[in-house]
Amino acid sequence: MLTRLLDWFDSRTGYRAGLAHLLDERLPQGTGWAFTTGSVITLLLGVQFLSGVVLAMYYVPSPALAYDSVQYVMRSLPMGWMVRGLHVWGASFLVVATSVHMLRVFTHAAYKAPREVTWLTGLVSLLVILAFSLSGYLLPWDQKAYWATTVTVNVARSTPFAGEFIANLLRGGPELGALTLGRWYAAHVFLLPSILVTFVVAHLFLMRRHGISGPLRRSSGPATSFFPWHVMKDTVVMAIVFASLIALAYLVRAPLDEVANPADASYIPRPEWYFLSLFQLLKYFPGPLEPVATQLLPGLAVGFLALLPFLDRRGERRPWGRERLPFTFGMVVLVAGVVTLTVLGLQDRPEGKKAEDWGLLPIAGLELATGENSACKRCHVSGGPAAPLESTGLRRDEEWLLNHMIDPVAIAPGVRTADDRAPRSAMGRFGAQAVVAYLRRSHAGIEPPALEPSLRLAAMTYASTCVVCHKISGEGGTVGPDLTEIGKRRDAAGIREVIEDASMVYGESSMPSFKDKLTGAQIEALADYLATRK
Amino acid sequence: MLDQSAPTPDAPVNPRRAFLVRVIQGVHATIGATLTFILGSAVLAPSLARRERLWLSAGNTSALREGEPVAVTLRVARQDGATEVVDRRVVFLVKSGDQVRAIDSTCTHLGCRTRFNAELGQIECPCHGGAYDVTGRVVAGPPPHALDELPTRIDGTRVLVQV
Repeated sequence: MLTRLLDWFDSRTGYRAGLAHLLDERLPQGTGWAFTTGSVITLLLGVQFLSGVVLAMYYVPSPALAYDSVQYVMRSLPMGWMVRGLHVWGASFLVVATSVHMLRVFTHAAYKAPREVTWLTGLVSLLVILAFSLSGYLLPWDQKAYWATTVTVNVARSTPFAGEFIANLLRGGPELGALTLGRWYAAHVFLLPSILVTFVVAHLFLMRRHGISGPLRRSSGPATSFFPWHVMKDTVVMAIVFASLIALAYLVRAPLDEVANPADASYIPRPEWYFLSLFQLLKYFPGPLEPVATQLLPGLAVGFLALLPFLDRRGERRPWGRERLPFTFGMVVLVAGVVTLTVLGLQDRPEGKKAEDWGLLPIAGLELATGENSACKRCHVSGGPAAPLESTGLRRDEEWLLNHMIDPVAIAPGVRTADDRAPRSAMGRFGAQAVVAYLRRSHAGIEPPALEPSLRLAAMTYASTCVVCHKISGEGGTVGPDLTEIGKRRDAAGIREVIEDASMVYGESSMPSFKDKLTGAQIEALADYLATRK
Repeated sequence: MLDQSAPTPDAPVNPRRAFLVRVIQGVHATIGATLTFILGSAVLAPSLARRERLWLSAGNTSALREGEPVAVTLRVARQDGATEVVDRRVVFLVKSGDQVRAIDSTCTHLGCRTRFNAELGQIECPCHGGAYDVTGRVVAGPPPHALDELPTRIDGTRVLVQV
């Protein structure tokens, strides 16, 4: 029955002849494992496409919801974390696989006539894949997305003459925001896929048209057919790569920072590892020389790759052959340069706010928001007028959040009932800042430390007093010194002396004496906690 | 391009070739099944999720009079994907003896919001003239069946309605 149906289908479409044409490609004797890289790329592109479609079902390209929608995928959607893991790590796999593929083509001199255009379509595809990666990591709208994209746009702005125009084009205006996200999203899901499909199809068509270049040294013997002899090799490598990708996605959660906060310029952005070499290069060309790192050197590298098949035209295929040596040298310099810069970039880890460091302000916020006297729980309870805090997003800007906490009724219409006369202020401004800091941590899924009573006391004291002047782990005022690593400089007794009477210790200090303003227990809790910060 | 001497699927069976074909099919089927499981779960799970049932406080028994429907607005905050929405549902609370019944105010005909007409003592739909008695039974017009009833519970003097 099925056979008859397929016979009919074949008679109307000729699919069997087409399939046979695809599968029975004659490959030169000795075509080995090196020629499996293309199939791996095809598999990875398939994974990216399918997982991308699923992510697009849940993703919302707006600054207010982008982060929450990714968080929803990571936490609430069954298997969502795995889908995003495949997509995020798959992007890295794809960059590696395309680079390996390109090096394989180089070592086999497979770009030589008549395959110059095949090489160019491949080069464009590689650049498109890099553009995918670049546009992709803005989409989660977390701190890394926001600040790394700020750097990208500033790099584009260093273009001579047209810089400002290009930057505005990338951002959709003078500021990074909703319009930027919209156009990068459109590029990532509509524009780039259609360009990539076009070039990959052209690449495969040309590959079949000219046949593959084959091994450097032809062994004698008849050609073998692609299926199943070479497909078996492809399949083995694909299986290994796929299993590694699944294992990585399963073992390492795709990262997601705190939600983007345009007001927090203290964040130190670092790009994905595959752009780290370019990022590192920037450090050596400061000021007016910047275009050397952002335009000239990358331009030279791409230009070198694009011109290769037109410069390296002799018959020699061995990379170490005399006629090819200059090109091999150029390629080695390029690869060594990228690898060295990437390694240097990986080693150069600037000290920034550590994600798992809660500091004190968020702990005070945790206490205010979820403790026994929580004002939030008046409304944010299951079945109440607002959703529980665990399921609310952080989709308003900081000003809104602070105002909402200080006066919930004024800003959330419908909360006030007829018996509620005066607006009930939920908390003061510093309390609200503490709760915002807490929500940022908790919405990023970062587990709070164990809440011992002394830590709680230190946190509440810090949030009502010290925060005005002192920063801990990225939050707080800048009048006094940053206390993030105060434990390196002073022990608990020394810190206590400063809190009690700073001018006794420093001779002259603008820090007031807190001996009478804080209780002994408060000072002790603070000093003990701060001494542990190293 | 097609080489006529190339082995075709109809060529005499080579056992090594047949084995390789099986292995290739098996590996690709496994990759496909893994992807289908992961991606399929993420696509299907929300479609299969049940709505969470909540008991909401709908007011006090002292505010109710025997056999007279009182319209109460229930606010139901729920997750909608990545967002949170507050649904409003208007129910009629009708006291009869010790019992309180909660009748959904949505007309069963085309989903308009019904109102209680105190003069006639019936619940009326403004859209197509549907009318129900105070227990929700259809007395006139096009509605196909009675108004939906929601489970209720009395906790002290509070009326709880399950939505």
